[in-house]
Amino acid sequence: MNFDALIEYITNTPLVWLLLTLGSFKLGIIIYEKCNKHTLLQPIIISYVIIMSVIFMTGVSYEEYFKGVEIIHFFLGPATVALALPLYNNLKHIKSLFLPIMITLVVAGVFSILIAVALLWALDAQLPTILSMTTKSITAPIAIITSEQIGAIPSLAVGFVIITGIIGALLGTAIFKVMKIKHDTSKGFALGVVSHGIGTARAIEISEKAAAFSALAMGLSGIFTAVFLPLIIQFLKG
Amino acid sequence: MLKGIITLLVFQFLGECIAKLFELLVPGPVIGMVLLLIFLIIRKSSFASLDTAVFIHLRYLPMLFIPAAMGIITQIDIISKEFWAIFTALVLGTIIALAFCAKLMDYLTIKQESKK
Repeated sequence: MNFDALIEYITNTPLVWLLLTLGSFKLGIIIYEKCNKHTLLQPIIISYVIIMSVIFMTGVSYEEYFKGVEIIHFFLGPATVALALPLYNNLKHIKSLFLPIMITLVVAGVFSILIAVALLWALDAQLPTILSMTTKSITAPIAIITSEQIGAIPSLAVGFVIITGIIGALLGTAIFKVMKIKHDTSKGFALGVVSHGIGTARAIEISEKAAAFSALAMGLSGIFTAVFLPLIIQFLKG
Repeated sequence: MLKGIITLLVFQFLGECIAKLFELLVPGPVIGMVLLLIFLIIRKSSFASLDTAVFIHLRYLPMLFIPAAMGIITQIDIISKEFWAIFTALVLGTIIALAFCAKLMDYLTIKQESKK
């Protein structure tokens, strides 16, 4: 038996990191579903904790880990393109409330970025943090590629995206009650604009209409932000 | 399903090519997404293998951003230094944005309904 060859193989193959990532995510899904899909127990959070512990225990660098799982990262591209289908399926709802949808998309989309940036600026945060906060309300795949584009830190950006999604999903219903929101369409749309996919998962529990408007909002605000944010930031930098 | 996967990859490829050719700042995959949306609107329907390919990609979507998200371990400095600014911006920012967005949409919807 050649233990040296075995250890040599295990420490060099990307298979270990791929298996760890896929396996821990599967475990995350199992725990999430066992706990009635509690918002705080998102599969990615469980997976995060497991992978992070292994990385710290083995002392592997992030670059080494990333190299091993780069193939997973690659699929963010086709997954972004895939978002066109749910958007297409919900596009029929746009006609009934065209003006409210378009105005809310632009005004609330810009407002939600500005309020977060203003809070960070007032509390003395640095530029990389502020830039990484600008994509917090859009769906993670678009947030990652857009944050790369604008010179933000993608990993911070994803973290902010996930936390924004969770906060919105946890507090949404209470906020709508306090604000006396009448229409399910407004609730769904707000959850989609602010809390993307995690908000949409929550909107499904409000009603089918809310879910449709949330999916619509998530797709539209993803495109809107990815198109205009890099332009505005380049203009500000230039 | 292969046809569906090829469709997604072709649209991503087209999007990236257009972004490079015209020096656009919009990320290539997002252009691909818009192109696929236009394609579906013109075609007036999706097809089974695209449905399957999309389902598989979106079902495990959160898993796809683990590699990028793990980079957070290299940002512990920033997070610990600016923890309270980040915390406030995320919590307060999300609450205010949700309240504002829902109220605005509700107000505009009610206004449109009363016009009819």
